[in-house]
Amino acid sequence: MPETIAVDLAEYLPILLFLGIALLLSTAFVILPMIVARFTGASKPYANKLTEYECGFPAFEDSRGQFDVRFYLVAILFIIFDLEVAFLFPWAVTVFDMGWVAWGAMMVFLAELAIGLAYAWKVGALEWE
Amino acid sequence: MGARNRREPCRRCALPLSRSRFLQGSQDNVIQAFAFYLFATIVIASGALTIVSRNPVHSVLWLILAFFNAAGLMLLIGAEFIAMLLVIVYVGAVAVLFLFVVMMLDIDFAELRAGFTRYLPFGLLIAVVLLCEMIFAVGVWNFADIGPDTRMGTIDPDMPNIEAIGRALYDRYLLVFEGAGIVLLVAMVGAIVLTHRERGGVRPQNISKQIKRRPEDATRNTQPEVGKGVEL
Repeated sequence: MPETIAVDLAEYLPILLFLGIALLLSTAFVILPMIVARFTGASKPYANKLTEYECGFPAFEDSRGQFDVRFYLVAILFIIFDLEVAFLFPWAVTVFDMGWVAWGAMMVFLAELAIGLAYAWKVGALEWE
Repeated sequence: MGARNRREPCRRCALPLSRSRFLQGSQDNVIQAFAFYLFATIVIASGALTIVSRNPVHSVLWLILAFFNAAGLMLLIGAEFIAMLLVIVYVGAVAVLFLFVVMMLDIDFAELRAGFTRYLPFGLLIAVVLLCEMIFAVGVWNFADIGPDTRMGTIDPDMPNIEAIGRALYDRYLLVFEGAGIVLLVAMVGAIVLTHRERGGVRPQNISKQIKRRPEDATRNTQPEVGKGVEL
C-alpha cells in the first residue's frame, strides 16, 4: 500500500483541523440540546402529540414536491460554464510556456461556448420570466 | 526502495519520491495508509448505499459522499487539481443536477423497485464484465511491468499536477479539447431545445424599454378649467 501513497499530507493538516473542528461543533450542536432536553424537560410522547401540525391542517401530500424543469435548465447551463472555467485553470498555468497554439486553442474553445451563450441569450433561456 | 533515486517517479503512481514523505518515517506512512483505507472504505460503502437506499434523494446524498471521498483519494495520490475538480464539478454541479432530475420525475419509486429482481441478472452480467476488464487491466499492467516513463503524457515528475495536465491537454490532446468544447455546445443547445418553452401571458421586464422611457412620454401637463375634467 505505501507505494501508491506519495503526497505530503502535512500540507493538508490545517484543512484537516478545520474539518475536525467543524465536525466537532456540528456534532455538539446536535447532541448537546438533546442531552440538555433529556435532563431538563419531560419526555412523554404520545400519538397525538407526535402527529404533524401545520396551522391546523394535516399534511396531506408527499413532501417530495415536483420541481419545474426550468431548474434543470439552469443547473445544466451552470455545469457547462463550470466545466469551461475548469478547463481555463490548467490553461492559465501553462499558456505562457506553451505559445500561441495553446492560446488559439483556448480562444476557439471559448468561441464555441460563446456561440452557446449567445444562443441561450437569444432564445431567452437565461430569463426566468 | 530507498536505494532508488528520489527524483525517479514512484513506480505505481508516477509521482516523484522526493514529494513522498514516507521515506522520512513510518509514522506518516501509517497515517497515509489509514487515510487511504478510510477514504476507500467510505467510497465503497456509500456507493453500495447509493444503490440500495430506497429513497432516491438519499441515493443522491450518498453519491455526494462518495464523490467527496473519491476526491480525498485523489489528494492522496497527488492529483490535487483533479480532487478539486471532483468537488467543484461533481459535488457542486452534477450532484445538484441529479437532485433536480430526481425531484422532477413523477415516478412511483416503490413500483420502480419492484423490477429489481427482474433486472438483477442483467446488472450482475454488466458488473462481471466490468470486473473482468479491471482485472485484465491491472493484471496486464503488473505482468508487463510497465513503468510510468513509458506512459503517454508523462513529462516531468516534479511538475505540479495542474501544469502537467495543461501541458498534455493543450498540446498533445488539442483536438480532443476542442471536441470537448463542441460536446459542451451541443449539450447546451440540446438542453435548451428540450426544456425551454415560451410561456404565454407573462410580461417580462424589458430593461432597455424602461431606460428609454422619458418623463415626456409618461406625463402630461394640463390646465383644466374650473368645473371641467381632464380627458385621459
